Formats: sequence, structure tokens, C-alpha cells
Amino acid sequence: MENKSQNGVPAGQALLAAALLLPGIGTVHAETPPERGSVGVKYLYYKEDQPGLDRVRVHAPAVSVLAPIAGEWSVAASATVDDVSGASPRYHTAISGASHMDDLRKAGDVTVTRYLPRGTVSVSAAYSTEHDYVSRALSLQGTMSSEDKNTTWNFGLGGSDDSINPVNRIVQDAGRQTVSVLAGVTRVLTPVDVGQFTLTHTQGHGYYSDPYKLVDNRPDSRRQDTALLQWNHRFIALGATSRLSYRFYRDSYGINAHTLGAEWVQGLGDGWSVTPAMRLYTQRAADFYFDPVYDGRLGEPFPPGYVFGSTQASSADQRLSGFGAVTLGVKLAKQLNHDWAMDLKIERYEQRGAWRLFGTGSPGLAPMRAVSLQLGVTRQW
Amino acid sequence: MMRRLLAACALLAGLSGCALAPVQPWEKGELARTDMLLQGDSLETRFDEHIYTSKEAAAGGSAVGGGGCGCN
Repeated sequence: MENKSQNGVPAGQALLAAALLLPGIGTVHAETPPERGSVGVKYLYYKEDQPGLDRVRVHAPAVSVLAPIAGEWSVAASATVDDVSGASPRYHTAISGASHMDDLRKAGDVTVTRYLPRGTVSVSAAYSTEHDYVSRALSLQGTMSSEDKNTTWNFGLGGSDDSINPVNRIVQDAGRQTVSVLAGVTRVLTPVDVGQFTLTHTQGHGYYSDPYKLVDNRPDSRRQDTALLQWNHRFIALGATSRLSYRFYRDSYGINAHTLGAEWVQGLGDGWSVTPAMRLYTQRAADFYFDPVYDGRLGEPFPPGYVFGSTQASSADQRLSGFGAVTLGVKLAKQLNHDWAMDLKIERYEQRGAWRLFGTGSPGLAPMRAVSLQLGVTRQW
Repeated sequence: MMRRLLAACALLAGLSGCALAPVQPWEKGELARTDMLLQGDSLETRFDEHIYTSKEAAAGGSAVGGGGCGCN
């Protein structure tokens, strides 16, 4: 049993299969070039609602391909199309009859990786387009291992250049640029424990406001920092693996956030596995977020004392409020044979002001709920 | 900024030098399992991150270079 995965395939094949699916950076295991190619297809259905109101529905098929080249290189690429429809709040949780949207987002990315004896170097490019938004991103990533391969250093440098042309023409060709750096370390702790600690810093400037929200004027620069700790532990006797993560986030808006993730991967035999998962999230409100208490003279949605033409930062975006959120989900996976695998994941998400931890959440907001379903198929060759 | 950078480097260096008994290559069979990898299915991760980015203020943490969207 020690050398078998939960699906009953040899561990070496499991390693290979995993490496094939991981064009990204930061894993201690993905440093050997893939020997087989793979193609994955995934479909997402997502629905978001608030009490008495269907908000957003998303249908999104996606495909990913990974091809090994000459034993020392790999090329990974993915593409997705998000068909989004519904209504977004104009301020706090208020919806106007005119706020219905129907958008098609197309996104793609490609990563080229060079495998070295004790590390990797990857270059990635990403592009996405919507009817009013275009995003371009480039990044350089690298990993370097110790001689015994028990420690891996991870580095990354990325940049993005976005532009927005809202249909209401509040701004035209507004831009936003960011630069991000990443440093991390992955450590094999014991024969059944592996951990990773990653720090990122992002510095951005440009247009950060939401052009479709009323009274939304955000600072034109934003600094974001994250610290992410991950720990996987294998319970050999139980045939299970625990996957824990904690992320601390803070930014120059005054937002602090904590995210705790937990998964339990339980092998069931005959190629089946089931993975219940839970995610807890809490965030402090942005300094310039204002509660749904409006100016006595101007009324909704203007905050008390609002002055037209003022450059003072303000926002009634629920996403910048103080709240807590809980995600519960379960994933069912089946290794059909040596080449084919399928998986199905269902999740339910809910956020409420009253669920904020380490402080008081923002009052007067309707709970937001979402359900999502992901169905995937992977084929190796 | 420079002080923070040095502190981050010192923290990472300290963690990577944790005094643990080195795990030998022949002891790494369990670590090679798919469910022991620190990052999961790439498409699933992208879907998840995109969903959370559209509903929450915090984002990122495990990589750099992802494209943005008009959803936030």
C-alpha cells in the first residue's frame, strides 16, 4: 500500500500524472520534466443569489494542454470562456432594473518551462478580454532545490497591464498596471509531511474604481501583501491525506483578511476518492467603505456629508465591507484507467457581515450565497 | 520596504533551515502521491480563484502573473 496512490496506481505514475497537471510554480514535486502529455477539460456552472434575488450565473468551459518537449522542456496552455449573466449591485446590495448584464469573457495563457538538474525556469503569458476590459500579464518563475531535494526555493516576478472602457463612458481607456514578486520555500518535513511558505507583494497603480457602482471612488494605487502557509500530511493507516492552508492578506486599502482551508482526501478503492472540504474567510472593511447610512439631504446612495466633485475615496461595494464567509464542498474523483480520469466538485458558499471574525462586520448587508459545480475529464497520452 | 524585504528573506531562510532529520529519497513514496502535491488541478484552481476574486477583497498568495478581470 505504501507505494500505491489512493487510486491504486503506482506512486510513480501518480507523481507523473500530477506533474503533468501542474504547469504552475511552487511545488516540490514538479521539477522533473513530464514524460507524457495531457489534456484536461473542465466545465463550471456557478450561480449567485441574495434573498429574493438571482444575481449572477456563469457557464464556463475550459481546456488545458501540457506537452513535454525534448525531455527538458514543457509547454502548458489553457483557455476558458466565461458566459456571465445576471445583475450586480449598484451600491451595497441594491439592484436597479437597468443593471442586467450579459458578458462573455475569454481568457488564455501559456507557460514554457525549462527543467534543470536542480530547478526550473518558467515564462508565462496570460491574456483575457471582455466587452469592456482587457488584461495582459507576463511572469517569470523559478525554483531551485537543495542537493537532497528536501528544500525548494520558489521565486516569481510578474506584471500585468489592464485597460477598461466601460459602456457608460465614465472613463475611456483607463489603465491599471501591477508588478508582483513572490518568494517561497517548500520543505519536505517527514516522509509523510510537506509544507510550503510563500510571500507575495503586489504594487499597482491606475484605475481601481468600479465604473458601474455609484459613489465609487477608490485610491489610484494599491499595495497588497500575502503570506501563505500550506501543510499536507499523509495518514497511511487511514488511506487519507489532510491538506491544510492558511493565508494572511493585507492591503493599502486597510483590509486585513484571513483564509483557512481544509481538505480531507479519502481513498475509497477501485480508483475512487472523495474529498470533503471547508474554507473559512474573514475580512476587515476598507478604510473608505461606508455603511448603508445615507446623507439626510441627498438620500441614497450618498454617504453623510457627501460633496459632489470631491476626490475623497469612498465605496459602497459589498466586497470591500467587513464580513465572514464559509465554503463547504465535496469532490468525487475516479481514475478510470491508466489514461483517463474524471472528477466532480460541488460547493456552497455564503458570506455575511455577522460572520466576520476578530471584529464587528459591516451592518445592513444582505447575505450572499453561491453554489458551483465543476465537472472535469483528463486524458493522458 | 527594504527592512520588510530583509525580514521576509530571513524568515524564509530560517524555515528552509529547520533542523529536521533529512528525508531520504527512498522514503518519499508517500510524498509522490497526487493528493500530497501542494497545488491541485490547474483548471480547478483557476476557477476557484476567479470565483473568490469576484466576491472578496483578498486575492493571490500562491503565484504571480495571473491575468485580471473586470469582475473586481
